[in-house]
Parts: sequence; C-alpha cells; structure tokens
Amino acid sequence: MSSAADTACSHCHLPIRGFGHDRRVRGEERRFCCYGCCLAFQVAHGEGEESEAAWLLVRLGVGAFLAMNIMLFSLLLYSGTLGDGDAEIIVMVHVILWALATACMLVLGSPLFREAGRAALRGRLTAASLISLGAGAAYAYSALAVMAGGDEVYFDTATMLLVLYTLGRLLEASGRARAMRDLAPMLEAERERVTLLDGAVERQCLARDVAAGMHVLVRPGERIAVDGVVVDGSSWTDEAVITGENRPVAKAHGSIVLAGSINHAGSLVVRATGAGTATRWARISASVRAALSRPGEVQRLADRIAGAFVPAVLLLAALAAVWWAQHMPLDDALLIGLAVLVVACPCGVGLAGALATTLGIGRLARRGCLVRGGQIVELLAAVRAVAFDKTGTVTLGTATVTSVITDGTVTEEVLRRAAGVERASEHPLARAVVNAAAERGIDAPLARQAAAVPGRGIRGDADGLAVLVGSPEWLAAEGYRMPAVLGRRQREAASGGDTLIHVGWAGIVRAAVTVGEALRPEAPVVVDGLRRLGLHTVLLTGDRQESAARIAHRLGVDGWEASLSPEAKNQSLGRLRARFGPVAMVGDGINDGPVLAGADVGIAVGTATDLARETADFVLPESGLGLLPWTIRLSRAVRRTILTNLAWAFGYNAIGLALAVSGHLQPLFAAALMAGSSLLVVLNSLRLERFPEPEHAADLATTETAGYGAGPRTAPRLAG
Amino acid sequence: MIEYPLLFLAGLAGSWHCVGMCGGFACVLGSDRTGAVPMLVRQLLYNLGRLTTYAFIGGVVGHLAAGLCVAEPGMPPTAAAQRVLAVASGLLLIVIGLQFLGWIRGSARPLGLTYAAPTLTRALRDILRTPGPAAPLAFGALNGFLPCPLVYAIAAQAMGSGSAVAGMLTMLVFGLGTFPAMLLVGGVGSRLRAAINAGSWGRHSVEAAGALILLLGLITLTRGVVLLDTHRHLL
Repeated sequence: MSSAADTACSHCHLPIRGFGHDRRVRGEERRFCCYGCCLAFQVAHGEGEESEAAWLLVRLGVGAFLAMNIMLFSLLLYSGTLGDGDAEIIVMVHVILWALATACMLVLGSPLFREAGRAALRGRLTAASLISLGAGAAYAYSALAVMAGGDEVYFDTATMLLVLYTLGRLLEASGRARAMRDLAPMLEAERERVTLLDGAVERQCLARDVAAGMHVLVRPGERIAVDGVVVDGSSWTDEAVITGENRPVAKAHGSIVLAGSINHAGSLVVRATGAGTATRWARISASVRAALSRPGEVQRLADRIAGAFVPAVLLLAALAAVWWAQHMPLDDALLIGLAVLVVACPCGVGLAGALATTLGIGRLARRGCLVRGGQIVELLAAVRAVAFDKTGTVTLGTATVTSVITDGTVTEEVLRRAAGVERASEHPLARAVVNAAAERGIDAPLARQAAAVPGRGIRGDADGLAVLVGSPEWLAAEGYRMPAVLGRRQREAASGGDTLIHVGWAGIVRAAVTVGEALRPEAPVVVDGLRRLGLHTVLLTGDRQESAARIAHRLGVDGWEASLSPEAKNQSLGRLRARFGPVAMVGDGINDGPVLAGADVGIAVGTATDLARETADFVLPESGLGLLPWTIRLSRAVRRTILTNLAWAFGYNAIGLALAVSGHLQPLFAAALMAGSSLLVVLNSLRLERFPEPEHAADLATTETAGYGAGPRTAPRLAG
Repeated sequence: MIEYPLLFLAGLAGSWHCVGMCGGFACVLGSDRTGAVPMLVRQLLYNLGRLTTYAFIGGVVGHLAAGLCVAEPGMPPTAAAQRVLAVASGLLLIVIGLQFLGWIRGSARPLGLTYAAPTLTRALRDILRTPGPAAPLAFGALNGFLPCPLVYAIAAQAMGSGSAVAGMLTMLVFGLGTFPAMLLVGGVGSRLRAAINAGSWGRHSVEAAGALILLLGLITLTRGVVLLDTHRHLL
C-alpha cells in the first residue's frame, strides 16, 4: 500500500496537504484534513450512549444555547430598554453575560484553542488560530471592561463567532463527504466487507482476505469484490468501472464476473478465480488513491497562497486596528481589527481545486478511465490538438479481406491455395487471407517450399502447382498475365482504396483480393466529436502512405503523416505543439511508449495492465476510445469549476477584507459570511456530480459519420 | 399589543401539532429516567433550550427586518418602513394560516434545508441517547431550529414587529404557549401522543392554530395599511 493512503482525510477522502488533525476515534488513529472533517467524522461514526459524537453535538448545542442567551441579553442592553438610571442592572447583566460567555468559551473554544496551540508549536498558523485569536481577544477585552466598569462588552461577538465557526466547518465537512460518497467505495476497495459462503454458513470478511476458490455471496445492489465465475444464480451486472460501458450485462451459471462491477437484479454466488488483492478493481483503487495524492498545478499554487494567507491576515488585522485607533475610539478600532481577522477564510482557497479535481477523477474512474494525477485533468482541459496512432488505436489491429474478385475461378479454390501459401508468412496481409479462408470453413493445407520475397509476396507449392500471392507489380514482373475480365472487375470494385493482392498460378493471375484494415466503428465518431470541441486531429503512423491516406480519409481527421519512425512522430508532436498548443497522443500504450511520453498527455487505449507500468498519463478502458470526447468535456468542466471556485474564494476574501478594513463590516456579520463562504465552494463543486454520463459512441454512429466512405473530404497531407 | 395574547393562544393551539412533530423526542427524553423529579428537570431543560432558540430566531429576524428599513443605525425604523414591514409580514402570515387551514397548498420542502436537515436530524438522534443534564438542553436548543411551518409563521410575525426585542418577545410568548403541551406529553408519555394523533383533536387544534395565525395576519396587515400606531413600545 502506498503512503498515499495515509495522506487522505478519513472523512472526506480528500488529500491532506500541510497540516492535518490527528484524532483517536473508536480506538483507531485517524487523520483528518481539517477541524470540520474531524467533527463530522465523529458525528457520523459515533455509536452508543457515551459516544464522542453525541458529546460533540451536545457541546455544540450547549454552546449555541449559551451564545443565544448572551445575544438575547445583549439585545436588551443594545435596545436601550434599560434607561441610564438602571446602572446597577446593567452591571448585573454584564456579569451574567461574562459568566455565560466563560462557559461558552470553555465548551466550544477549548478544542479550537488546543488545535491552534498544537499548530503554533509546529510553527504553523491555521484558520483555527484566527478564530481562537479573535474570540479570545473579544472575550478578554470584554472581561476587562466588566472589571473596569466599562459599558461596552462584546461577549456576544466572541461566542457567536465560536458557534458559527464550528457549525460552518461541520456543515462543510458533511457536504464534502457527501460529494465523495460515490468515490469512497472505490478508495476502500480492499477493505470492503464480503459475505463468504462456507457450505451453507455465511461469514463476513474483508475483500483482501478472499483467496481463489472461495465462494462469495453477492446480493442485489452490492458490488462484486472478486473476479470469478458464477456458480449459482442469475442477474444483470454493471461493468462500467472496468469496461467503460454502461450497459447491463447478463450473468448466469458459468458467466465470468469482474471485481468492481455492481450486481443489480438477483443474488449471485461467485467462485473466486483469484485473490481479492489481485483484481483490476483493486489496482484501479490503488491508482485512484495515488492520483488523488498528486494535485494539479493550480491546486499547488492555491495551497502555497493559502499557507501564506493566515499570517498575512493577522498582520492586516493588526495594522487596521492600529490605523483606525487614530481616528476613532479604541473599542471600535479593535472591532474593525476583529472583523478583518474573522472574515478571512483560507479554507475556501485550499478547497477550491481539491474537491473539483477529486470529483473529476472519481467520475472518470467510474467509467474505467484512469488518470495519473490531478495535473492530467488540467492538461486534458487545455489540450488543443489530438494525434492518433493508427494500428491498434483507431483500427482494430488486424487486416481483413474485404473482397475476392476472380476471373471466373471459384472463390474457395482461390482462397484454398492462397491461404495454403500465406500460412507460411507472418505478415498481417497473409494472416488476413488465412483468416478469410478459415472463416469460410475452407481447409487450406500448408503449401510446400514456401518462400517469401520481402516487400513483394510469397511463392509456394500447393497441389503441385506453383502459386504466387503478392503485390500486382510483382506478379506482373514475374510474367503473369492478367485476364481482361479480371482487370475490368478489379477496376470496378477496388476503388475503396484497400490494399490489392494478386493470386495467380500457372502464369495467369486468377484473382484480386482486397485487404483492408477494419476501422474501430467508434473512431470516426470520436474524431468528429473532438473536432466539434475545437480540437485539431491528426493521424500519425509508421505505416505506408497509401494505407495512412485511406484510414485518414475514413476517419475524417484534419491531417495525417505516414512512414514515421518514433523519433519522427515526436518531432511531429513538437510541430503540433508549436502550432496549436498542448497536444495529446492516443496510442495503444505498449508499442508507443516513447511517443506517448513525448506528448503533453499520453493516452493509452485498452491496455489491461496497471497504470504504474505505463508511460501513459491517461488510460481508457479496452473498448473505450469512444469515451475520449466525454473525458475532454468533463476535464473542461472540472477546470471551469476550479476557476469559478478560486474566483469565488479569492473574490470573497478580497471583497470581505476590503469591507472589513474600511470599517464597513461588523464582526458578527463577518463571522456569518466566513462560515458560509466555503460552503458555496462545496456546493459549486457538487454540481460536477450532475455532469451528464457519456453517450456510447457506437450509439451515436450513423451512416453518415461512421464506417467507410465518410464523405467527399480528402484529408490533406501535413506539410513536412 | 393585541397580538401577544393571540400569540400565546396560537402556541397553545398549535402545540398539538408540535406534539406530533417533536413530541416523540420529548417522550424519549422523559422516558427511562429514575424518578419524576429528574424527569421534570430534563423536560424543563429541553423546553428551556427550545424557548431560547425561538426567542433567538425572533430577535434575529426582528433585528434584520428592522435593520433593513432604518434611516440611521440605532434609530427605530421609520413609520413608512414599519408599515411596509407590517404589510409583508401580515401577508406571509395569511398565506401560512391558509395553508394550515388547508385552503391553499403549501410547498413540501422548506427552502434550502434539504441539505442541512439530514445532518441535523442525525445529530439530534445521537444526542437523545446521551445521559446527563447537558443533553436535553443541547437537544432543545438544536430542536428549535428544525424546519416547522408554525415557527415560520410566528417568525414572520416577528419580522413585522419592528425591532429585535419585539421580535424576541413575539417568539417567546408563542413558545410559552407551546410549553404546557410539550411538558405534558413528555411527562405522560407516548400513549397520550398516540391518542392525540389518532383522534380528531389533533386536526382541530391545527385548524385552530391556522385560524389564529390568519387572524394575526389580518391584524398585522391592517396595522400596516391603516396606520394604527406610529411608534411601537415594548410594554
């Protein structure tokens, strides 16, 4: 387990940066990212009569009760109901206020003072420090005033401050945990509770303790925790988190189920085929945890600013108080200083990026798309051009025979001989011919004395006849004659641009076989979707010009380059970057390692191995190319959310501080504002949960945009 | 000044509605404690907490509403501003009263509380089981913030009262009206509550509360439209 797990808050699962809170809950040492999460965790997980959670809420309730009474009594004083002749009553009320305030400071203030003290010992200032200082100062000043017989006391400010702060943090932490509730199961994958069936006896254990051969009972609505085979029951499962597809998959006796998928309809008994720790789901969980611990650039900057924030605010408050003290009574000047201290909310700044990025990573992971870190989400949003590798990425990776045109010879005979010869070759074109024969059920015995001529074709002995299978130029050069009828048919049929192979024996070309690369059906839709997002699309391949041109034409990309070595591909990426901006490269991740590394975002499709071994920054699931436009849209939404959060956090602080420093803000109002401001950041980030799911690209494929013949556009070749 | 007795009556009448909503809590607070006196103490603390919250709400609402309409801070609101406040408050009360009477439909969810309410209710549940005198006090204080249309109605009245203190008194008097019923239910227990909820007594009392609120609204509205007094005194 990486240490990343230790730096995630136990309540909201956001990464803890800087200084966290440690607390012992139910016998376990837990770390929290802030006071609010500490509170909220205890509320959520407290059990029993004497639980700490209940005591915490009792403290909040009692503190609120005391503060409210202080407010009510203060109202009596402020409203001037008691005339000037009632000086003794006023003093008595002051003393009552003092007593109530002392109780409140003890009840609500002590945990805050402890946290502030601990932070100060480590040389850090946090929001708790600000509040402790503010409330403490107001209380101390008012206590002195009572003893000296003054007439202005501010116990109401001090106590309300504590109540509002505590309440605000608690609510905000609850909101954050709610936002993370969909992500939480993913992060706890190995600690999920699993029901084991031991014969007829049910037993609970953790997912990581399951070994191969154990039987697991999965009830409807539960998540399947292990890879395995169904031995009993039938149901529908949702495998989106592994395959990216949102469609329910039927499972019955003998079906294979994947760890991480959700069981929908009926109970299933699954025999585990591997350990609970060795599933792709567990690896996804680990990689998401790792991703969460790597914040993006924007977030890192925000954190640095937040760190310098508190000392700056302290200074500002002191300066404001000192300056105003020259223009008005000390009382009022101190109040202004207090307002400055209180209105500042560093929590919003720190939270702005973290929550949105985490939600984005979680949404992606739910569809099986894994990013290396928050940085990648930011980059995906900034990408201006996308380059595709050809073989295996936009094509299915295998060539297939698209047609067999003969001069009258029976197709089966042609294929039988051709396949017999081609079986001796490893070339993709050869395999296509062999597959075509196999598909038609034709038995093609291996030709004897097969000899390949590199770049031309292959010659072999089938049924005692010398058969040639290869490029038209080669057969012509060998003196093979092409019958006129074949020539005519070939001209009619082979205009689609596929590769042409001639098959001949006994001096005559008998057939023309067209072989094409099958395009992934969703590829043209993806390219179209990316273009609609304003991205420049390009095909980069090491393959020949002709096949590259054909595929590019069908894809509808803006440009293509062929015959590229990996170094040349990197140079192309560099040119794209110079011309458009950040570039993403989509490849299969196995063969394109260095090229993916050369792009700003390297995207691998379909690799089933875990992210750590890849050089890819972003992994799409097996048939998940169609998810690419959606991931770009989601990343842009995350970036928008981060920017609006930051704008709000900074704007709020700037305006609030300006108002406070200029004396226009009462401390109580400032406290209320501060309590609510980071709530808004949470609520804004929660909107990402409602970002629409991707529509499956294959569903969108229409006859106009998908498949072959994608319109009269000819993809221009990129200038060198 | 007419309003205060009416408020008390509204509290009395509406308190059976309160019994339905919050009586359960009072019952738990009152049950399985040793002896009648500790039980009474717990009930008193609970209601003390609740009343404090009500008074607080009334004070804040009154203060904010008055503060919106002042020429200078510290001065009471101008006569014209008071009338506007009274009109607004009266209309709100009339609407809520009609909703109680069932003559118009109300909105199902009070605004903005869908988010905080689950947290609050879970919090309350936890406090219920904690022993000691602090718990009922805390519970009462937090319970008072639970979304309740009756409280909203009286808060609207507090809004129109013209000052923080008047608003506070408004809610306090109403709270005192609910005091007897809640104390009774907490002491006597769940059987009485079940009987109340089952019978027509509960329904009638809600209607009575609605009628009282309607009346309050009309009076407040009239005060705004036809200037009855320009300067509101506390006593």
